Amino acid sequence: MFTEELKAFKRLGFRHVLLQVLNFASVIASGLMIWKGLGIITNSESPIVVVLSGSMEPAFYRGDLLFLTNPANQRYQTGDITVYKIPGAEIPIVHRVLETHDVAPKKTKAAKKKEAEDSKITNPEATVVTLDHQRLLTKGDNNYEDDIQLYQGLEWLERKHIVGKVRGFLPYVGYVTIAMNDFPQLKYALLGGLGLLALIQRE
Amino acid sequence: MHNIFSRVNNVSAFLSSCMMTLLAAIALSSFLFTATPHGDLTISSIKVVASNARRYPNKKQDVAFMNFNITADLTPLFHWNTKQLFVYLQAEYTNKQGVKNEVVIWDRIVRRKGDAFVKFAGKNKYMFRDISSSFKGVPPANYTLKYNLMPYVGVLQYGEAARTTEELPFPPSQRL
Repeated sequence: MFTEELKAFKRLGFRHVLLQVLNFASVIASGLMIWKGLGIITNSESPIVVVLSGSMEPAFYRGDLLFLTNPANQRYQTGDITVYKIPGAEIPIVHRVLETHDVAPKKTKAAKKKEAEDSKITNPEATVVTLDHQRLLTKGDNNYEDDIQLYQGLEWLERKHIVGKVRGFLPYVGYVTIAMNDFPQLKYALLGGLGLLALIQRE
Repeated sequence: MHNIFSRVNNVSAFLSSCMMTLLAAIALSSFLFTATPHGDLTISSIKVVASNARRYPNKKQDVAFMNFNITADLTPLFHWNTKQLFVYLQAEYTNKQGVKNEVVIWDRIVRRKGDAFVKFAGKNKYMFRDISSSFKGVPPANYTLKYNLMPYVGVLQYGEAARTTEELPFPPSQRL
């Protein structure tokens, strides 16, 4: 089987190999572009995540795929399911918001001066309160306790820790990545196989 | 070329695109079901008690306890793409600084249509505290029963099932 493939490989020559390498690279590049483009549209550093723990069962199981958005000008509300990442923690956590407490933004002198100027111009957009100041408490649906233990000393979750809020749901698909993490051999086999196929395909 | 590899490749590509279309159709179909159930929510009593603060046991912090009755028929929310409902009771108030606060005080997961008639009388499941140490001077709060419809595949939907008719004030704190 492979002798035939190898013969074809020799016949097609070096240029063909280069072309296939180029194709392969463009596939990878467009994948990366779609990922980063989605990140810009949704304002989230990782717009698609895989559920890694069972703390949101029976809503989300390990391996389910979640689609996130993180609109900059929207408050988070109770009942929203957020994905957050505490500095120092390795993996992001998917849990539901239990409490939200808005915080009146602290006014520095410069900000006060600016506000006074803005009110003269009566610019409606300038009077909108900045929404970065919000304190959240979360809890996993399947946990008895809220998440304060997970916050690594922080008392509240803040907007800067949040990756996004869950908008869409697709079951099981993400299990591929979990399987690849649990069995690295599978990852290498898959990558190698794909690479080889891309090189020896004739069309 | 019609070798076994290209056949397998074609069949699996066709199957997966069929699967994707089907899933997209199911996800879109749940927008056709637009039930807006209405229920009743009454708060029968509110009590504020000075208790130990959570992080600092030698500090005092007010905790609010309430008794409430919920009757809500959420069965119309169950259609073929409903995996479960997350039903929660939320207190909503604007504090002294004029900013919004929302606290979930009770929740329940409904997984079957048979359980979707929610009838509950009791007290809060989660501690209700303000971000400051007391409820003194905090304006009256609104209480709403909300739900989050979680699908088998597709978009999560939110809605409101009941609301207290008027804002309810916090009573002065009492010592135990």
